[in-house]
Amino acid sequence: MGLTLVFAGALFMAFALPQDKKMGGPWEIPAKYKDMKNSMKDDAGSLKIGKMLYTKHCKSCHGGKGEADGPKAGSMKTAIRSFKSAEFQAQSDGVLYYQSFVGRDEMPNYEKKVLDDEDRWSIINYLRTLK
Amino acid sequence: MRKYIFTLSCLLVFAFGSVLAQETETETKKVDKPVRSPFESGYLIDNQTTVIQPVNTLEFAIQHKFGTVENGHSDLWGLFASGANIRLGLNYVVANNVQIGLGVTKDKMTTDFNAKWTILEQTRNNTVPLALAVYGNIAIDGRDKDQFHDDFKSSNRLSSFAQVIVGRKFSDELSLQTGLSFSHYNLINEGMYHDKVGVHFNGRYKVSPQGSIIFNLDMPLDLGYLDTEADNYENPEPNFSFGYEISTSTHAFQIYMGNSSGLIQQDIMVNNHSKIDMDNFMIGFTITRLWNF
Repeated sequence: MGLTLVFAGALFMAFALPQDKKMGGPWEIPAKYKDMKNSMKDDAGSLKIGKMLYTKHCKSCHGGKGEADGPKAGSMKTAIRSFKSAEFQAQSDGVLYYQSFVGRDEMPNYEKKVLDDEDRWSIINYLRTLK
Repeated sequence: MRKYIFTLSCLLVFAFGSVLAQETETETKKVDKPVRSPFESGYLIDNQTTVIQPVNTLEFAIQHKFGTVENGHSDLWGLFASGANIRLGLNYVVANNVQIGLGVTKDKMTTDFNAKWTILEQTRNNTVPLALAVYGNIAIDGRDKDQFHDDFKSSNRLSSFAQVIVGRKFSDELSLQTGLSFSHYNLINEGMYHDKVGVHFNGRYKVSPQGSIIFNLDMPLDLGYLDTEADNYENPEPNFSFGYEISTSTHAFQIYMGNSSGLIQQDIMVNNHSKIDMDNFMIGFTITRLWNF
């Protein structure tokens, strides 16, 4: 009887516990990045480069349209914020730069994969088009 | 053969003589930076590109060639055939545009030590219109010495390959390379060449942000008149491969068909006697994985 109750309790908890992933906590962005200015004009050339690099480096987690539905998103422990969200788009370019290329936890550092500052800003410019 | 060389030379003169705009209008900065990703990987099928990853990058390469497709569905077009060749390689970028590596290949239990140096990178505004790289390897035949002749010496195991590669990214989609190489085997079978000079031509055409059509042609040159002893030798056959590449941030995956089973270049240039014929084609793949430190 006792064993049955333990089993039933475990089964109940398995369904009752929340399954949703949690968003990561607030980012601590160094002042240097907060005040950073985007050095690339968001013209067609920059957006083309940004899209090309986004597809190569970001799409597998963040999805083709930035809706956090890439094939690797499911295996992450942390929920990924949609790039379409007002909260995401309200952040400054410098903050997006830090989040995108310095990263933290499951968001990897991309400073050694995207070496050129122009390329990094082009990705930020492209993220702005996903709103 | 001379027709081939002439045609190739014309193509190259025409190609490298042109000054097509490389990048977008935004590239008007004073410093003329290298073009973005002329190729997605340091490997192109079974050859090298001028691309070297950033400093302190470790690259793991898995290369595999299955059996020939001649038996059709009976061995799933060679996928289940015996005699597949496999190479596992590790490369590390020790300095800017300098890479060293080693690999082990199933065929003849070969171990190779290699190095690549990209001397020039093509720039976006054509200050440097071409990329130039040199690549070389030394390989050791690791089979038991019973497999060699009675007068066996350790040096019999050695072979080497040296190559100069010139490449150009013509547009965001099209990148082409050519190369000249010298292959040497210390010990070869009767009737085969110790040394072989060859030319190489390969490239990619991007058809989507992550996908490209790729091809490679290696042509061992018949310079028999330089070696009178080689009058009756049969020149190795050209190696032609074509396939498709998919790349991501850390991987490049190339699947292709080609007519040589070799995976190290001197083997392809000296030992390939398989003609370019559909029955001789085999399916192969090259996968690379990068880690940055």
